[in-house]
Amino acid sequence: MNEAAAGFSDEQLVKARAGDSAALALLIRAHQRSVYSLALRLLGTKELAEDLTQEVFMQLNGNLKSIASNTHLLFWLRKVTSFRAIDQLRRRSRIEMTSLEDEASLISPAEGGDPLLQRHLQQLLMELSPPARAVLLLRYQEDLDPVDIARTLEMPINTVKSHLQRSLGILRQRIAHPDRHRCEDEST
Amino acid sequence: MSEDLESRLRAALTPVAPDDEFTQKLIARVTAEQGSQAHARGTHRRGPTATAWWLSAGVAASLLIAVGAQHHLQERRETERGLEARREVIEALRMTSQKLNLAYEVIKSQSPSPSPSPSPADDKPGV
Repeated sequence: MNEAAAGFSDEQLVKARAGDSAALALLIRAHQRSVYSLALRLLGTKELAEDLTQEVFMQLNGNLKSIASNTHLLFWLRKVTSFRAIDQLRRRSRIEMTSLEDEASLISPAEGGDPLLQRHLQQLLMELSPPARAVLLLRYQEDLDPVDIARTLEMPINTVKSHLQRSLGILRQRIAHPDRHRCEDEST
Repeated sequence: MSEDLESRLRAALTPVAPDDEFTQKLIARVTAEQGSQAHARGTHRRGPTATAWWLSAGVAASLLIAVGAQHHLQERRETERGLEARREVIEALRMTSQKLNLAYEVIKSQSPSPSPSPSPADDKPGV
């Protein structure tokens, strides 16, 4: 859970449920980073991510009465965002999904340091299947353990573990043999 | 190596914030939607008034139907009474006519019949 989300309390959720606009605005501010980042890294473009973020919060507004706690809220947001994004990705062809300019924004600019990892991670994210991408993001962006990822994505835990292992394996290979992959990338 | 890679991944995948402009628009849109929902709920809360209106309309319609039915029944009863009276009048006229006929026959039978005119044979002497 990010800091902003942690700052949103169950009491504020009760207020938002009761129709308090200020509390609802606080809720959006607290959780939009998580929703937007998931959407951005799953869908690949800022425009699509903004559209999805808006759809998710609109849907949340209609379902706010059914949200019991802040933990439930986080679970609901991650689940709805992931499912909606995966649905969109399945409907669209990968070719029209990203531009190079958009890809650059998928990785956090703040971490600095490791451009090689960023490059490989960028490529890896775009090459993974939508469910595998969602697993990787929930694990390393949202810091969920495999059990929670399995619950969120409604998939068997072994599938989650298998997605994680495979994705990390590919990334390790990319880091260990950057030249080979660069050649592969250039040839494709 | 694995832990290092995972921590680097976490750092690279730190959540990013959308533009402030987008956030403002998002909040405005969602809170506006919340407002319209509250308005709709308010309208729904006025439900009892609407229910009362429908109830009144229902009662009024029922009354109207009852009055109409009563009126129709009364008209039918009056028509039947009229027909009955007509039948009685006709019967009375029929009976009166019978009595008159009877009286006429009695009077006719009691009155002396006129003497017959003497036949020409009676006038002849010695025959």
